[in-house]
Amino acid sequence: MIGNLRSDPVRTISQWQDKRFLWVFMAVLSLFMVILAHSVFQIWLYMRPCEQCVYIRLAFFAMAFGGIVAAINPSNPGLKIVGYLCAIWGSFKGVLYSIKLNKIHHAAHSDDLFGVQGCSPEPTFPFHLPLDKWSPEWFKPTGDCGYDNPIIPDGVQLSSMQKAITDFYADGWYLWPPAHFGNMAQCTVITFGVILLFLVVAAACWVVTLVCKRQAATQDASSTCPGRLA
Amino acid sequence: MFRFVKIIVKSFALVALLAGTSFAFTEGTDYVKLAKPIPNAQGTLIKVFSYDCPFCYKYDKKITPNLVPKLPGDLKFRPFHLKTKGKYGVQGSELFAVLLLKDQKAGLSDRDLYTEKSLLKKAKMAYYTAYHDKKERWDAGPDAYLKTGLDAVGMTKAEFDKAKNDPQVKALLKEWDASYDVAKVQGVPGFVVNGKYLIMTKSITSIDGMVKLINELKTK
Repeated sequence: MIGNLRSDPVRTISQWQDKRFLWVFMAVLSLFMVILAHSVFQIWLYMRPCEQCVYIRLAFFAMAFGGIVAAINPSNPGLKIVGYLCAIWGSFKGVLYSIKLNKIHHAAHSDDLFGVQGCSPEPTFPFHLPLDKWSPEWFKPTGDCGYDNPIIPDGVQLSSMQKAITDFYADGWYLWPPAHFGNMAQCTVITFGVILLFLVVAAACWVVTLVCKRQAATQDASSTCPGRLA
Repeated sequence: MFRFVKIIVKSFALVALLAGTSFAFTEGTDYVKLAKPIPNAQGTLIKVFSYDCPFCYKYDKKITPNLVPKLPGDLKFRPFHLKTKGKYGVQGSELFAVLLLKDQKAGLSDRDLYTEKSLLKKAKMAYYTAYHDKKERWDAGPDAYLKTGLDAVGMTKAEFDKAKNDPQVKALLKEWDASYDVAKVQGVPGFVVNGKYLIMTKSITSIDGMVKLINELKTK
């Protein structure tokens, strides 16, 4: 497989995106991120989502939706175009939301307050979707911008496991909390960015291969498709 | 050919000159015009804030106390608390309104609201530290919330209950209801000049720059 990639990268990548695996993988990864954020961090560990965080959830849902639609039948161009549009839109918006959250996070944890805006008390979702009304548990921001520390309500008895993990994240979510290394925004920007890069490359390879096939059909063997030059 | 170059250079110079003077601030990036202006707010700088907002806390610690003394003399500083944010936004507004009027009755001017004499400041800071530093959420209910502020200024619950029914307090709270439409635009804190122009906090790069912008908007 890797050998194929080296000798004929465009067509190999195009073949990959015709298969179900990568689409399912992207959908599962996106759903995993959202469920982790909601069920584990928000519900179990009392880390409340902020305005940007609920936008980031929407972005992951868009990618999951795109992945599922394309995975129904990846060789169907219609389904695949819908899949690409949703996933590219989601990952692109995700990058922007994450960059904004990272700026807010920086301002909130330093005295460098200039250049960022406070959070709005009401989220405004793309296309004016009232997601926070439809599903407050998933989309209503209850946390403060730039802060994701666990806030344990009075009278809640934590299990020893919950206690240990909430203590671990006492200063907020970091990939490695003791060193404050990699805040949530930085981690999501990398996730969205890598997926976006993959999507754009895969879509481009698909289009190039399609064009080549069409050319090959009309001009026969004289086509100048990448990978066939050799 | 040479004349052509001269014309271009001249026009560039003109653009640069204009950019340096009249176009110093732009609507849409530095400030926005409120669709629904705040009534009776000519000659004021209104600051919309909420106890439940980390940036308000940061602004109240680092920026607003340094900004208020630099404001032009004919501009009155007025704090507005937003009642729709935070679980106890309504109770917070009531207490802050009572304390602001008490401050005014004690002879404090709008410029004194960031001095140690101000009861409003004492209560506000008590809420900020409890909520943001100690992560207090007052799950026991509104009375627990009120206690934090009342203790900070040494007021009893009975005194507060009596004071909050004062018609002046009610009138002030009614004025503060305008906060919601301001906060909706870009969140809190929100600074509004003459009830009409909302400063985009994102474009503020220094306190002096903010004063400059306020001065420009004031005369608009």
